[in-house]
Parts: sequence; C-alpha cells; structure tokens
Amino acid sequence: MQKSNLVLSIMLWAVVALFILYPLSFLIIESFKIAETQTYGIKNYVDFFKDPYYLKTFGNTLFLSLLVLIVTTLVGLPLAYIISRYRLKGKVLFTALILLPIVLPAYAGAFALIVLFGKMGVINLLLTDWGIVSKPINFLYGLHGLVFVQSLHLLPFIVLSLSAGFTNIDPSLEEASEVEGANGFKRFFTITLPLATPNYLAGAVLVFLWPFTDWLTPLIFGQVDYLPSISYINIAYHFTDMHRKYMGIVSVVVSAVICVTLFLASKYWVERKKYTSLSKGTTLEGRIIQPGILLKVGSYVYMFIIALLVLLIPIVLGLSAFSRRWVLEPFPTYWTLENFKLIFIETPGLLKNSLLFSGTALLFGIIFGLPAAYLITRTHTPGKEALDFIITLMLAFPGIALGVSYLLAFWEGIPLATHWIIMPLSLFVRRLPYFLRMAHASYLQLDISLEEAAEVSGATKLYTFFTISLPLLLKGVFVGVVMFFIMAFQEISTAIFLYRGGWETLPIGIYLNWHRGMEFGIAGAMAFFMIVIIFILLLIVSKIGGGILGAAWGSSGGRY
Amino acid sequence: MFIKIENLYKRFGHTVAVDHVNLEINRGEILTLLGPSGCGKTTTLRCIAGLEKPEGGDVIIDGKPLFSQGFVPPSQREIGMVFQNYAIWPHLRVFDNVAYGLKIQKLPRSVIQEKVTEALAAVGLSGMEKRYPGQLSGGQQQRVALARALVRHPKVLLLDEPLSNLDAKLRERMRFEIKSLVRRMHITAVYVTHDQAEAMVISDRIAVMEGGKVVQVGQPEDIYKRPANRFVADFIGTTNFIPGTLSEVHRETNVAYLQTDFGRIRCTLSDSFQDFSVQTVQASIRPEEIEVLQSAPSDRENVLKGTIAYRAYLGNFLYIFVTIDNTMLRVQVPYDLKKQEGEEITLFVNPEKCMILP
Repeated sequence: MQKSNLVLSIMLWAVVALFILYPLSFLIIESFKIAETQTYGIKNYVDFFKDPYYLKTFGNTLFLSLLVLIVTTLVGLPLAYIISRYRLKGKVLFTALILLPIVLPAYAGAFALIVLFGKMGVINLLLTDWGIVSKPINFLYGLHGLVFVQSLHLLPFIVLSLSAGFTNIDPSLEEASEVEGANGFKRFFTITLPLATPNYLAGAVLVFLWPFTDWLTPLIFGQVDYLPSISYINIAYHFTDMHRKYMGIVSVVVSAVICVTLFLASKYWVERKKYTSLSKGTTLEGRIIQPGILLKVGSYVYMFIIALLVLLIPIVLGLSAFSRRWVLEPFPTYWTLENFKLIFIETPGLLKNSLLFSGTALLFGIIFGLPAAYLITRTHTPGKEALDFIITLMLAFPGIALGVSYLLAFWEGIPLATHWIIMPLSLFVRRLPYFLRMAHASYLQLDISLEEAAEVSGATKLYTFFTISLPLLLKGVFVGVVMFFIMAFQEISTAIFLYRGGWETLPIGIYLNWHRGMEFGIAGAMAFFMIVIIFILLLIVSKIGGGILGAAWGSSGGRY
Repeated sequence: MFIKIENLYKRFGHTVAVDHVNLEINRGEILTLLGPSGCGKTTTLRCIAGLEKPEGGDVIIDGKPLFSQGFVPPSQREIGMVFQNYAIWPHLRVFDNVAYGLKIQKLPRSVIQEKVTEALAAVGLSGMEKRYPGQLSGGQQQRVALARALVRHPKVLLLDEPLSNLDAKLRERMRFEIKSLVRRMHITAVYVTHDQAEAMVISDRIAVMEGGKVVQVGQPEDIYKRPANRFVADFIGTTNFIPGTLSEVHRETNVAYLQTDFGRIRCTLSDSFQDFSVQTVQASIRPEEIEVLQSAPSDRENVLKGTIAYRAYLGNFLYIFVTIDNTMLRVQVPYDLKKQEGEEITLFVNPEKCMILP
C-alpha cells in the first residue's frame, strides 16, 4: 500500500517535472540571457527596473489591480450578502447568471462592450441621435474603461467567495451577537465580515492578480502601457529586436513572480486566520433572513442591474451574430444566418480543434487529477504538499508566461511544439487546478470512515476506490470535469503563442476575425456560439453541484 | 487468549495517543475500552482494525501477529466494525450495504441473499432491503451498520461509540440488543465508549484508559467497588473525595486513619495504594455508602455532623448535599427523608467502603 502510493507519487511528479518545471526553467534561464553578449547575468532585470517606461507600466498595472479590486469589492459585497442571506425567489437562476462572466472569455466581453459603449457604439449613437451629446462620450478607452470591463469580468470571484464565506458562518454566531444587542450594521462589521474575510481573500487575490495576466483587454482598448500587454507586444511582434524580446520575457517573469508571491502570501494569511468552528450541525445554507419589503425591492433592483450588465454581453454578441454590417447604426438592420453558415460549414475546423484540444486536455486532467487528489487528501506520501503547491500555483500563473515557456522549452530538445499535442498539453497544465480543486473538495467532503468501512469489510484499496469513493465523488468530479472543460474551451492566453496554421481554436478564431475589422459578425457568431455552449454547461454545473462549486471556490483558499 | 495487545504504541506528531498498552481479550467476551475523550481508546480500536499503524508493539488475533511480521491490511483481518457515524454508504441500498463484504468473498448469490436476510432479521430490519440510507432513521442506520458488521461472522467485532448518536431511550435499548446479539453469535467484541453506564451494562470486562494508558482492567463490579486510583473512582459512577493526611497506618489490616478538616476518619487502604511517603491523600466514598443516623452517638468512629445544603429528587432516591465545615459530601438517601434544606444531619461513613486511593 505504502509502496504503491510512492510509485504513484513518482509518476505524478514526473508529469509535473516535464510539463511544468522543465518549461519554466527555460523561461527563467532565458530571462537572464544578455542580448548583446549572449552571456548570462542580471542585466535585463537591472535594465527593467531602471527604465522609466517599464516602471511606469508596472505602476499602471498595480494601480489598475487596486482599482479593480476596490470596485469589485464595493459592488460585490452587497450582492454576496443578498444572495447568501435573504430569502428571495429566483435566487438560484440569478446566481447562475452572475457566474457567467467567470467562464466567459474576457475578450468576448470586451468586444461586446465596444459594440455597445464604443465611440460609435450603440449608446453613443443613440445619445447623438437624440441630441443629448454632440460628441461621443469616451466610455471605454482609458483606465476607466479597463476598470469597467475587468470589474465586470471579475465580479463573480468576489461574489462567489464572499457568499461562500457568509454561508459558512454558523447562524448561532450571528444570533449571539444579536442577543448581545448588536444591530444590523454593527453585527455585519464586527461578526459577519471578519468571519468571512478568509474566504474573501481567497477570491480577492485572484481578482487582484488578473491585470497582471490579462494582456488582451488593454490591447483591445488601445492601452499598451500595462505589464502583460507590453510583454505580449515585445515577444510576439518584436522578437527580432533581441533587447525588446528579453525585456518582454523579463516582464513576464516579473508578472509571474508578483502573482505567485501575492498568491502565496494570501494563502499563508488565510491559513493562519482560518477560524476553526466548534459548532456542530451548521445548516447547509447558513443563515437565511426574511427581508422586509424595502430591502426586498432594493435587493431585486440591485440584482437586476447587475444581471442586466452581465446579460448585455451575450445579447450584443447574439445581435451581431445574426446580423451583417452592424456599423454606425444603433441596431442591426440586416439579419442573416450567413455568419453561422460560415463557421459551421466553411470553417468547422475551429470548432473541431477546440473540442479536440479541450477534450484531450480533459482526459489528461482526469488521468492525472484523480490520483493526485487521492494522493493529496488520503495519503501521507512525502512531497505531496509540494505537489499540491505547484499545481495550485498554476491558478495564479499568467497564461502568457506558460505560453512563452512552452515555446522556449519545446522547440529544441523535446520538439513537442511541432505536434498538435502541445495544444491540449498546455491547456491541461494551465487548467489543472480547476479540476483538482473540485476533486479535492469532494474528497474532503467524503467521510473517510465510508472508505474504512469498505476496507474492514474486506475490500482492497483499489476495490474501495471503484465501489465506494468514485461513486460518491462522482458529482464533484463531474462538476470539476465541466469546469475544466469550460476553462480549457475559452483559453487563449497560452494557446495564442503555441498555435500553428490549422490548429486555430474557437477563441483564436474570434480574435483573428475581430482583427479583420468590418466583418465582426463572424467573430460575434463564434463568441455567441461559445457562450451558448458554456452557458449550457454552466447550467448543468449549478444544477448538479452548486454546493460543491461553493466548497471548491469559497473555502479552498483556506484548505489549500 | 484470543486477542493480545502487546506494548502498543502510537503517536500523532508529538502527541502520544496510545502509550504502551497491554491487554488480553478472551474468546467470546465483550471488552470495553472506557475513558474520556482523548484517552486513546479509539486509536487502540483502530489499531486492532488496522486503520492506524502503531509505531511500536503488536496486535495478535488468534495467534496471528498483525503488525510485527508484516502489516496485515484491514481487508484481511476478518473483522467487523461499527463506526461512530455508522459509515453507511449513501449510494447503496440497505441490501447492498450489508452484502458488500459477502460479494467480495465471491459467495453464490443465493448464499448472499440468505445471509443478508438473516442478518437484517437479527437486527430487526426485515423488509428494508430496498431502502436507501437516506430513507432510514438514525436508529435504523445504526442497525444496518450492525448487520453489515455481523453478516460475515467476523472473528472480532469492533464497535466505536456506536450508540453516541442515538437518543437516550433508544441508546438504553440498543445496549441490551447489542449485548444479546453478540452473545448469541459467540463473537469476541471490543467496544469503545466514554459512557460508563453503557460500559457497565454491555461489558464482561472493562479496561479503563487515561492518557493513552490502561489504568485498570476488570469486571464492571470490580472496577466500581475497587477502583485502582482516584481517576477510575471518579470516572466510574459518582464518588466523594475527602482530602486529608495519613495519621495512622496499619498495613497488616489495611486500616488507615485520615486526618481531615473535620476530624479523624477511619478508612481502608486500597491494594493499589503503595506509596506511603505521600502524606496528603484522598479517600473516596460513594454516596450510597454514607448512612444517615437518627441520633448522634458521640463515641462512635466516622460519625459526622453537617447541614443539608441541597436536596435533589431523582425518583427512586434522593441526593442530598451535606456541608461539613468546608467540605461538601453527596449522600444517597431514601426518597422519603424528612429533613429539609438547612437542617442539621448526622452521617456515618462506612470505614470498609471509604477507600484511600493513589
């Protein structure tokens, strides 16, 4: 038994070494390469931190992160409280809705918002037509636009983690504070919020890190002075200028280091702050309050406004998907199915690629993730913490960093990059934490005595796994499978570095078609189609395993 | 000797859970590991099951060592176990829960059918085969767990606080049911509980544990009447402790005199009391061994005068709490005692039953 665990551990480590550590070492080594002399040293880093331009981008990114975190927190806090505390009809549907941006590709949202809020977008055209403004209002282009788009995209992280935190609080703790004479606000700020802080932090760190990893949204809005964007431009477009290339790599490494450090710091803090509850028999849904009529109306209005913002994205993409030449008009004038014909009949390769790559990545994910989750939760094999640690880190690791590492590592030496398998492999590594978290959370929920009872009844470990553990884990594993698939399906940051002609995925297709300008109907159709697939999958997920999702996202910050 | 636990030692990090435990369990007997939470009783049980691996020592069942000559996994120990939370598999029907181990043995279907039916009948769950655990009450789940543990006629039945999740009435009834069931099937059973009343009812012998060690092993009556130390006296039943110093010791008759706050009391030295260098000791006297006297003969030994502080009515008897100077004694008296709170009372402490314990 001990021996087989060790063998398993070695196999998992081999995968981690080959597909995570090996490529990352290339990235780090390359960042120390000096362009002029082809020797190694810290010159690139010195240059980076001496150059006022790079320092400015660095500051910009940090400032953007801060603003996004503040906005999402201010907007998300009331929302999370409403969702987790008030007895309201339609809460479930709404929760699924606000989950949408988390799985929607950020670029799809950015495109939709340009159509809607751009200089010649729907709103500006309407405002000009009605004579309210004479010059279009700049809703998007600039820092404020980035904050708007990214906050909309990241709001679910805050809401999800906070509401999980609120739900986890034993109702009697709040009741006790009421009995002691604390009113609503006092109670919220002295009891509820502090107790939910570890959960909040788990979500907040992911929000804060996002601007350090998202290179595409700033580019779409014409903003290059952000760390990931300038890395992308340097690496993708200026690879012939060795100095700019290495600066790009250094920026990638700096972003990655910041992400990893912050992520670790929050993990450490959460771990220390985790409140062990003595109480027994907490209800599954935590404390539920019957709101008064005023609160009720207010809550509905608030939820409705946010739902509207979230829904705008699929609606706009839908409109553009079914229309042509929707330009300089507030609403489409020419309806057609042409766009869909184009993507299904003339270029079905994109969809095929997306399904093939995500599916293969999923297969890898299951084959690796299930044994890994078992090893981490159920054994005492040495090194399991480190394994867990490295995989979890991938959650904070910028996609661009992974893409560049793979490019560097798998050209020569191990020439995987010339085979399409590199695409699912990179997806597998990048999205692995999504599956592992889910498997891990369901393993933690599975009472170990259920497995012990099987062993006592004469079952071997393997037989126990297949007859007891797996059937009971199935729900959580299934949710993990779907989440993994969704996140792999919409991935672009890494894929864009690795794809070659014929390997384009749907997200890459959207990106390329948008580049072609006027015909954004095709891009819209692709994005719309993708959103439909993702939304269906998401509905399945929230129907089957809302609780598991909460468990995996909400408190895993503490568990991991 | 059917089960032999030799020098069993288990720690979790720096905490020693089981500290060199030695125990022998006879074939067909029910032995209870009794002690407060954290005393190592459950860990000892889990070592017998093979669910924990000890750092040292061995468990020998029917002559076969289970640790020292290669680890024997739980699946090959031929044991049955009832878990504290029952551990009924929620995705399997009652029938499949009970039949699980039999299917592993690859028995013919008809035999499985027969054995499961028999086991379910024995625990009073006939006709429930098709139900899922979610459709059963706590008590019924408990019975499924019991049927599952017994269906293979295991060499040893292990029960880990099996009744602690049931309500008081049901718990009372299940004690007797489990006892008669195990007796009928001639199974050797190790039972873990922190409830001393449960241990008294169910066990042939009790092993009292404290801080990872076995402090006393014996029949229930033995342990109640002759506790090895203060911990056992306190944990099993109710007792009064009277502090004092040893003033006169007659080791040949085991008689000792205790100098207390309220005078000299004649006591009996327990066999386990060996360390006579200790001067400050405690005598233990059970509430039912203190007598109420109508008059106060001043010349008799062990006669105490005090005031009733409280009376507590328990149906068939009364507890009265009597203060004598600064000491309070709990005394069990007939329910028809006329004296009220605040009145004076004269007590007689039986010197034979007043034990000086280590």
